[in-house]
Amino acid sequence: MKRFLLIFALFIVLPVHASTEKFYQQVMIGNAESAVKAAQELTSAIQDSNQIPKKEFQELIFSWKQVEATYILSSLDGEYFELPWYLDMFHGNNEDIKVQLDRILRGDSNIENALYKNSHKTINALEYVLYSYDLNSPRVKSALLIISKSIETRLLDILNGYKAYQEKFVSSRKISSSYLLNALVESSYKLKEWRVGDVAGLTRKYKEKANNKRAEYHISGNSALAIRAILLAHMQAINSKKYDNFGDFARDFEADKEIDITIDWLNNSIEIVGKIENDDLTGDVAEELYKSTSHLQDAYYLSLMNKLQFVSKILDADGD
Amino acid sequence: MEISNLNYFLDPSKRVYWIFVLSSIIIALIYLLLNPKHRKLNFSKALWLHPSALLDYYYFFISAIIKLMIILPIVIGAKEVALKVNQLLISLFGFTRVYSFSYLEVMLMFTFSLFVFSDFTRYWLHRLMHNITWLWEFHKVHHSAKVLNPLTFYRVHPVENLLFGFRYSLSAGLVSGVFFYLFGSLINVYDILGVNVISYIFILLGSNLRHSHIPLSYLSVIENILISPRQHQIHHSRDHSNYNFGGFLAIWDKIFGTLAESKNVGTIKIGIQNKQMKNYKSILNIIFFPFISIYKKSIKSLH
Repeated sequence: MKRFLLIFALFIVLPVHASTEKFYQQVMIGNAESAVKAAQELTSAIQDSNQIPKKEFQELIFSWKQVEATYILSSLDGEYFELPWYLDMFHGNNEDIKVQLDRILRGDSNIENALYKNSHKTINALEYVLYSYDLNSPRVKSALLIISKSIETRLLDILNGYKAYQEKFVSSRKISSSYLLNALVESSYKLKEWRVGDVAGLTRKYKEKANNKRAEYHISGNSALAIRAILLAHMQAINSKKYDNFGDFARDFEADKEIDITIDWLNNSIEIVGKIENDDLTGDVAEELYKSTSHLQDAYYLSLMNKLQFVSKILDADGD
Repeated sequence: MEISNLNYFLDPSKRVYWIFVLSSIIIALIYLLLNPKHRKLNFSKALWLHPSALLDYYYFFISAIIKLMIILPIVIGAKEVALKVNQLLISLFGFTRVYSFSYLEVMLMFTFSLFVFSDFTRYWLHRLMHNITWLWEFHKVHHSAKVLNPLTFYRVHPVENLLFGFRYSLSAGLVSGVFFYLFGSLINVYDILGVNVISYIFILLGSNLRHSHIPLSYLSVIENILISPRQHQIHHSRDHSNYNFGGFLAIWDKIFGTLAESKNVGTIKIGIQNKQMKNYKSILNIIFFPFISIYKKSIKSLH
């Protein structure tokens, strides 16, 4: 009898573990691997040519934004909390790295020592140096290699972190899906407010003061690409046909309707991003995108609220 | 929601879930074994077939239809409140996430906060039902029970059901909204069969005896923290209805000066004044008399 129960339990547990594991490997580890690969290719491109490696830089942005959108490593281990800030300082702090980088690149001190701050080695710093300086300059090239190698190392840390915590993620689907949903909700908020609303002058802070310079990658003109990458990462997380995903997990707690609505708004937002021309996030299309991503965020919250079924089971709502 | 209250006996979220009834019966039997003088009353037909008790039984079934037809469509859900609270907090303070607590710690805090805040709002709504004249007219329905039995819990006017429904949605929604804002999807509740574990334990420990004639009291020190069945029976007495408004916790009564410990109260007479009891002898009386009474009092106050 005991043996029968054990086999029965294994049949129930193993498929759940396997589907969660597949999701983790394809999305969390898969995206981190792509980002590491993109960083390595960018480093090689910088080494091999004096032209701006536009394509490689776009690959890096695309893959990093996908990692960032579903970043749950800090929930699995608090030690990884600050890692994204070492890579990306969009809305991270008020530092003006352009002034600092200008001073460093125009100076003659040891370049490795001069780029001592984490913010000097972010993707934002890389973008500024790549698109503002002549790559024929050995000092600029050295700076770019230091930055890109640092990015490569940070991304490798993330990849190794994900590999180390695979078992923890897979062992509790309930907790893991909560971490993931939190990441998606946070990402949808930042997408709507920071990446679209602030630029288009639609947020309370910048009401009617549209300015494309607030866009995440306005120097290289890759802001729309970043938004698209984030939305596609959300799609990977909630509606992929290749593996059981968060959408399937959410359906476990009877959020079918809510998750379908979320997918609809996600598809709608991706379609709108495709209409953005010249990376301009200040026009009507941006407003349309802002509205769509607002709906997307609300839809995530509604999916999340479905977990509140337990609240409706509080005893004694009848009086006394 | 089910049309028949018979399902209440199979629903763990109801006070009369069969396990809760069974646990109360066991506690009652042990009590009666140790206190033989209470056996006669508790085993008497006069108690269980008293007209007041019969009315409780009939009303228990009728109230399910009333709740389904009138109350549920009106009461806003806790989820909607939670969503609005979360949106309000985001618009006021921006998006934030607290990462310093683990999933299990958040779960523990949420379970505890839901229970305590819900009990706190129960205390105040219950107290207001007594202290505001027109609300008392509705709440008198519950206090018009001459004898107590577990179904007396459901002898509540639909207006009171409505108010308690709103209280529940607002309090559970407020706590959930704040926790969603701070912790997002990490919130969850320690539950047994989908019921908050703290509530479940308290109910299991004999909450059905609150509406009974088993005068089970606790040690004085405990009665300052938790409401005993006897303390709630004292609340149902004519002379002490302005004491012991608490649901599970007695600390609110202690803090706000409305606590009556069992040791300080002698014999009690359940119900309201005799001359008023005649107004609550049928289901129609129960439903319509409070409105008539409020109308009459309003007219009187105008002259």
